[in-house]
Amino acid sequence: MSATSGAAGHAGETSGVGSGEPVREAAGRRAGEVVAELEITRAWLVDPAAGREGPGEIVVSNGVLEAVTWLEGAEAKGVGPDGVVVAPGFIDLHAHLREPGNEDAETIASGLSAAAHGGFTTVCLMPNSVPALDEPSVLARVRAAAIASGSPVEALAHGAVTVGRAGEQLAALGELADAGIVGFSDDGACVANPTILRNAFLYAGMLGRPIIDHPELAELTRGSEANEGYIASVLGLKGWPAAAEIAAVERDIAVLAEVLRDEPGARLHLTHLSTAGALAAVRRAKAAGLPVTCDVTPHHVGFTDEWLAGARRWAWEALDANGAARDPWLDGALTAGPYDTSLRVNPPLRGPEEAAACLAALADGTADALATDHAPHTLVDKEVEFGLAANGISGLETALGVLLAAVDAGRLTLSRAIAALTTGPAAVLAGWPGVVASGDIRALAQPRGLVEGAPADLVVFDRSDRWRVTPESLASKGKNTPLLGRELSGRVLLTVAAGRIAYEEGAAGA
Amino acid sequence: MTLEIGASGSPASPVPEAAIPVSAQAPAWRHRHLLDVDVLDWSEIELVMTTTDAMREVLARPIAKVPALRGRNVTILFYEASTRTRVSFEVAAKNLSADVVNIAAATSSVTKGESLVDTIRTVEALGAQMLVMRHAVSGAPYLAAAHFGGSVLNGGDGWHAHPTQALLDLYTMREHLPGGSVAGRKVVILGDILHSRVARSNIWSLTAAGADLWLCGPSTLLRGFDRWAAASPRIPGHGRFQVTSDLGAALAGADVVMALRIQRERMAGGLLPSLREYAARFGLTRERLAAARPDVVVMHPGPMNEGVEIAPDVATDPRSVITNQVTNGVAVRMALLYLLAGVHGEGR
Amino acid sequence: MPMSGRQIMTVEEIRRAVIRISHEIVEKQAGTSGLVLVGIQRRGVPLARRIADAIAEHEGVRLPVGALDITFYRDDLSLIAQSPVVKGTDLPFDLNGSTVVLVDDVLYTGRTIRAAMDALVDFGRPRAIRLAVLIDRGHRELPIRADHVGKNVPTSREEVVKVHLVEVDGVDEVEIERLPAPLGETVGVSGTTG
Ligand SMILES: [Zn+2]
Repeated sequence: MSATSGAAGHAGETSGVGSGEPVREAAGRRAGEVVAELEITRAWLVDPAAGREGPGEIVVSNGVLEAVTWLEGAEAKGVGPDGVVVAPGFIDLHAHLREPGNEDAETIASGLSAAAHGGFTTVCLMPNSVPALDEPSVLARVRAAAIASGSPVEALAHGAVTVGRAGEQLAALGELADAGIVGFSDDGACVANPTILRNAFLYAGMLGRPIIDHPELAELTRGSEANEGYIASVLGLKGWPAAAEIAAVERDIAVLAEVLRDEPGARLHLTHLSTAGALAAVRRAKAAGLPVTCDVTPHHVGFTDEWLAGARRWAWEALDANGAARDPWLDGALTAGPYDTSLRVNPPLRGPEEAAACLAALADGTADALATDHAPHTLVDKEVEFGLAANGISGLETALGVLLAAVDAGRLTLSRAIAALTTGPAAVLAGWPGVVASGDIRALAQPRGLVEGAPADLVVFDRSDRWRVTPESLASKGKNTPLLGRELSGRVLLTVAAGRIAYEEGAAGA
Repeated sequence: MTLEIGASGSPASPVPEAAIPVSAQAPAWRHRHLLDVDVLDWSEIELVMTTTDAMREVLARPIAKVPALRGRNVTILFYEASTRTRVSFEVAAKNLSADVVNIAAATSSVTKGESLVDTIRTVEALGAQMLVMRHAVSGAPYLAAAHFGGSVLNGGDGWHAHPTQALLDLYTMREHLPGGSVAGRKVVILGDILHSRVARSNIWSLTAAGADLWLCGPSTLLRGFDRWAAASPRIPGHGRFQVTSDLGAALAGADVVMALRIQRERMAGGLLPSLREYAARFGLTRERLAAARPDVVVMHPGPMNEGVEIAPDVATDPRSVITNQVTNGVAVRMALLYLLAGVHGEGR
Repeated sequence: MPMSGRQIMTVEEIRRAVIRISHEIVEKQAGTSGLVLVGIQRRGVPLARRIADAIAEHEGVRLPVGALDITFYRDDLSLIAQSPVVKGTDLPFDLNGSTVVLVDDVLYTGRTIRAAMDALVDFGRPRAIRLAVLIDRGHRELPIRADHVGKNVPTSREEVVKVHLVEVDGVDEVEIERLPAPLGETVGVSGTTG
């Protein structure tokens, strides 16, 4: 174990893990600085690209991952998966960083800080800024802001499918592709018109880019407030039918299947799936060999609609032994007040059975990735009546904690959880031919693994260390999370992106 | 001469006086706000009923006014037009000698004016100590209560709750049912259950009262209540209820039938073909009422669409207690204002 | 609550006080014409009945007896949560022009009597209102004086006078007790609200 200089910045936080202090680093580093010298000893390494996890050590020198050593025998003794974990940096396929247009809610800079705090080293920005990212000049603004932030986190962007996301006329798809966007999405809304969708598949397919659809039949969800079912009935909230998502997914797949005959480059990615029915449709499409991928969000995995009534137990705790939903009114699970607007999200939080389907999809790979759908909002937009509140949950910084809660509960393996944040989304990106061909995407140049000789891109977190989610502990400007006040396991100690410090626990300005 | 009486002319209070500890150590009423009936246990509902008895007696006095809330500012903040309910609260507050401030915040959700939280802070700064609130969005009073230093009394929120209506309904049923109890009595709520805060609050109070509750209406207006019905008997302190579109089965042997208002907007949403068809299939007519008990109690929370959900001759039938509901509405609201006024700070 | 009660009136003393008050009432009115008795809930009501019984015995005339609940006339709302139960008002006679004798168990600060008079005048306009109490313990906060007193008892504010009557408590007895510690809240204990 060695350190270049000074004292360890957070020896206290990591004590009690293994036999020594597993993390040592130079003091006084700032976000953006190249990691001169870093040695992490006796930690649990997870390398999903190599399909390997176990006790090990890493050495980073001048930003390069110089050595990855797997420990065996007596050396590995006492090092387990419950302490400090080293994993490749996470990729988020779906985040709203609100700039340009709504910088009160989030900026590129604050959003990238939040990403780094959450362990993410690559983030894909959704194009529903104001103005929408529907032509290259908006992308240029986003890029300039990302560079100005000094964050080493890779900021990728999706472009709009239609002009102004209005669903009527195709956006400047070719120019956007040339400028380097990775996918097309009108997220926030479904591509409602099936003819536009069909043409978008054809044109984007020609460019080797996917259509990332937010599957929702708006006619079924107009005015909807909460997942249609028991909870919405009791709370008097307008129901949001699962069928709105399932029907849109099935429509998208049917249109894609037909388009593929003419344009084999067409791709469909379905984002934030929240229902068993939609996931089953994806499973069938994949079995049929269609180029369909999808993601689920941490909130649809971990939270349920009973939280709207005041419950706060994890989704898997809301199921009885037979896999049926428990009733929060029966077993005194209502520990918070009802109508918390931090729970208003699109698609809505579903019942525990649906959440279990999302978790199962992560476990069996039907869901290719976990995506945060990080959607920060100001107090002005959230401290209002439930039905008038903006949709969205601030999620970049709690995604890992929610997944680890599932791991802690034995509902997901650690390796699957990490894969859903790393190799899963990387494979989704790698399935988009135009993106691969563009060649300038770090997340693809270096597949998510612990590869010696490559620029260090990794996250270090401590599963034995819990942290409390508070407005102050979140780097995001969006404090809109129902996890406020709650403790999560897996405090992130260090995030390194492209060999540079993205986040460091206890460091100034982190 | 009877000295220990309840309301004059009404049945004696259902709980024997001895059952209520006179020098009870624990507060008999602990709620600072009343946002729905779901938080009331049965003894608290009984306390509302007996306090309402006392208010009925006050209403029967030559001067139907007592100084209980003298110097108290009761602000009535209605985001939805409703003359009946607003006036009922106003009369109730004035009968208790409160200073009443009326605010008609007739804003639509679209106009981006002052936020509810800002309004709450403003009315509090203007001296509001008790806030009676009506709002079109379900759950809005919970937001108000979280930001208001005094008491919030929900005067109806969206589709969610209308606790004073449910309690006056319960009071009126007990007043007119033989034996003064709804336990075991078949109570039918008929009409647009889906959009009804009256129905939802009545589910909580009537299942707590042990009624044999039936919800009846066309399936488009009854959606989503099956699981609640299945869960209800397992919720501590609550009993079962039925959900059906079979009007004949619902009305057979009914002790109480409450018709709910059908709103014209339901046609636009494709929930009903026409008011004519609704009246023909679900309207409460004298012929249909013949299936109920001969002494059935007919109720309606108002305002009525006579000839749609209720036939004119049923509305004016001697078995109709619709005007009693209005009188009891004032008494129940007096009782709740009075009970809430005694709780400060820590109460919930 | 550990309190050391000391008996200050026995069954017999209570009986004699009631009889004496009944005589005084008739004497002061020079007869029974126009007299009505109104007991203040809760122990004033059985006391009023007993006085009516005594008058019936020695005058052969049964006076009307009413019950007055002053809950809604109290000037401290914080009392509601502790004892919200309203016991009911019943005045089955016309107050206009009558002489009302208010009857209560203990006269203390005078606030209960003030509230009772406020309540009474909402029901009509009596020609006169008089006050009869079993115990006057002093410490008035309002200019109120009893016309008929069963027993004057000097007390300190740290003491509680507890009147027990058979009709309510199963026994006839008056006790005086010292409050433990500086407990300001004496609500719900009979005979302490003044
Ligand atoms: Zn979306």
